[in-house]
Amino acid sequence: MVLELHVWGPAFSLPSIDAQCLATIAYLSLALPKDAWVLVASSDPSVSPTNELPALRNDNTWVSRFRNIVDYLRQYSSGDWDLDAELTGLDRADSIAFTSFLDTQFPPLLALSLYVTSQNYYTSVLPAYSSQILTWPSTWLIPPQIRAAAKRASDHLGLSSLDLVALEEDRKREHSAAVAAGRLPASLPLLKATTPAPTTAGLVPSHRFRMEAVTAAAFEPLAAMLPPQKDYLLGGDRPTSVDCLLLGYGSLAALGSESLQDAWLGEAMRQKAPRAVEWVRRMQREAGLASLPWRQPERPRWLTVGNTLWNTVADATPIWREYRANTRMHEIAQSHEADLSGEEREALAEYATGYKKDVWLSVAAVVGGAAALVGYMAHVGLLGGGDGDEEFEEDEDEEVEVVQPELPVSLNATDFLGSMSFS
Amino acid sequence: MTSERREAPGQTPDNATAAARARDFFSVPAPVKRIFDKFPLVTYPANDLPYCSWSNRQGNRLFVFTDAAGARHGRPSFNPQCLKWQAYLRFAGIEFDIIPSSNHASPTGALPFLLPALPVGNNAPIPSSKLQKWAIEQVHCEEEQQLNTRFEVYASLLDHRIRNAWLYALYIDSENFDAVARRLYVDASTTNPAVRAALALQLQQAARAELLKTSTFIDAGALEAEAGEAFEALSALLGDSVHFFDRPNPGLFDASVFAYTHLILDEKMGWKRNRLGKLLRRHENLVQHRDRLLKFF
Repeated sequence: MVLELHVWGPAFSLPSIDAQCLATIAYLSLALPKDAWVLVASSDPSVSPTNELPALRNDNTWVSRFRNIVDYLRQYSSGDWDLDAELTGLDRADSIAFTSFLDTQFPPLLALSLYVTSQNYYTSVLPAYSSQILTWPSTWLIPPQIRAAAKRASDHLGLSSLDLVALEEDRKREHSAAVAAGRLPASLPLLKATTPAPTTAGLVPSHRFRMEAVTAAAFEPLAAMLPPQKDYLLGGDRPTSVDCLLLGYGSLAALGSESLQDAWLGEAMRQKAPRAVEWVRRMQREAGLASLPWRQPERPRWLTVGNTLWNTVADATPIWREYRANTRMHEIAQSHEADLSGEEREALAEYATGYKKDVWLSVAAVVGGAAALVGYMAHVGLLGGGDGDEEFEEDEDEEVEVVQPELPVSLNATDFLGSMSFS
Repeated sequence: MTSERREAPGQTPDNATAAARARDFFSVPAPVKRIFDKFPLVTYPANDLPYCSWSNRQGNRLFVFTDAAGARHGRPSFNPQCLKWQAYLRFAGIEFDIIPSSNHASPTGALPFLLPALPVGNNAPIPSSKLQKWAIEQVHCEEEQQLNTRFEVYASLLDHRIRNAWLYALYIDSENFDAVARRLYVDASTTNPAVRAALALQLQQAARAELLKTSTFIDAGALEAEAGEAFEALSALLGDSVHFFDRPNPGLFDASVFAYTHLILDEKMGWKRNRLGKLLRRHENLVQHRDRLLKFF
């Protein structure tokens, strides 16, 4: 059986637009013989039961995430396809720590650079998705989802101001609110932005400092990690899984102005870790990213398109979304293929049940809120009077929809405890 | 709605009545309005700070999650973030009192923070992010991050892998939550059952949101496996040394490791299901490291 690796599709002359997918491709390319695997740019996480890419398929078994795929390949080949086999002692410890460091530092930075920075998103990333990676109608559904997830993942860095389009929209909204409230005459035109900021060069100084700090936190230890006069991160004479991971993150971080309109991340990497940029280039050649065993993905059928649409709608509906996440977890807990011990499975199932209670709680809160609204409307005589004319009834329906989201549906815990230290 | 209301006067009378009715619907109901018309009834002066035996102490005061007895004897806090800084200041040889507090009392919304005996600048409290700088100014210890390139890399194991597994074990594992977190964080802060229920729900939801930031679903097995790997790496880094990075005295990294290892191994925490403890006990040198550092308390 030939192994199938499903990934997000190619962009920026790289085989994938996703760092974890790039790392997995590099790992398979370095560890496996050429005829043992094929690469499928399916670009649809719903192909795999875990709803994640990269996903490796071996007949009916699906494995997702870089680390799990590496572990699976080791077991599957009984130790032959394992780049980390020779690591012992401190080298193995370094490998674990470097992996953790890369996984912590780089995803938020890449999210900021590729998705949150509006010039890059609208002029480079979105066109790449629509022309090379996705087919209609997913082009309308998937990139905004990824962008929303990227915003959540990079929230804690406090650099959301990189989204200049959203800032501009906020400004316009404030302006029209001011006009509506009578604070500004309607004839006064909206001024051009005070800082005409076509690139992040126009960021307010405090944000520039913060950007310096977050890029330094990632690149300075990286520069120190690269051993001098050695080819690989851990200093051995063959690449290991950490090299693949750094190749994945580094390739996207080092993208220059030829690929992105505002290449602030690549610029910072060139300044703070110039050797890492060269290192990534060399590793790209060595991993043979130019000649990969591609296979055409299946043409999207109506069923898959419908499925994607269905998933998008479901995941955009507040309570339904939580219910689905929870049932997915239930399935994992109950499936016997999952590599969980009895105790773990029990814990996960218990957690999933607890989660279900929360879902019912929010359903109850919404229903209660709606009932209170209807009750209030009945009380003031808007309902059941029967003397309202047709036009008026319509109005009222609209209002119900406008008001409902503002009800205190549930307590917003993240706002309240956002800054709370959990550790 | 706003624009509709503003346009209403210029339109036909028929529309105008509809708009007027809609406005009635949105206006404040009369009984509620009558109540609010009376506000403010009285403006009270600000409350005095609650009187405690420690409010008139003169030394450095570190505000952490702890109970009154723990504060009196300077015992380790039950929150890893607080314990890290408590241990660091203790290792650096700085004299300080610990004072029980909660997130709601902190100027930054997070514990720990420190009120120094000799105020710096405008007498502002020092948040945890600036504590190391303050300690270096006080006792001129070295900044360890500069001395070893591995510091930042291995610190990510604690701040990410072990922290995530800790969040899962403490807040999301329901047995542990009821036995440990509810007792330490919820029941200690209030006696009102409604507030307790809300607080417990918020804690669990915030922990869940934190874990879902990095993945699409919470995979308990993966979190534990990653924590196990992290302990293995830390154990290899420590080796046979007495302290991390072969330092003669324990420092910030030792404090960060101790903050988790102590609480995971501490019998008094009352864990119902201690998977992390099992993983940690496989590495004898980390257990001994914790026992050595516990002597400072």
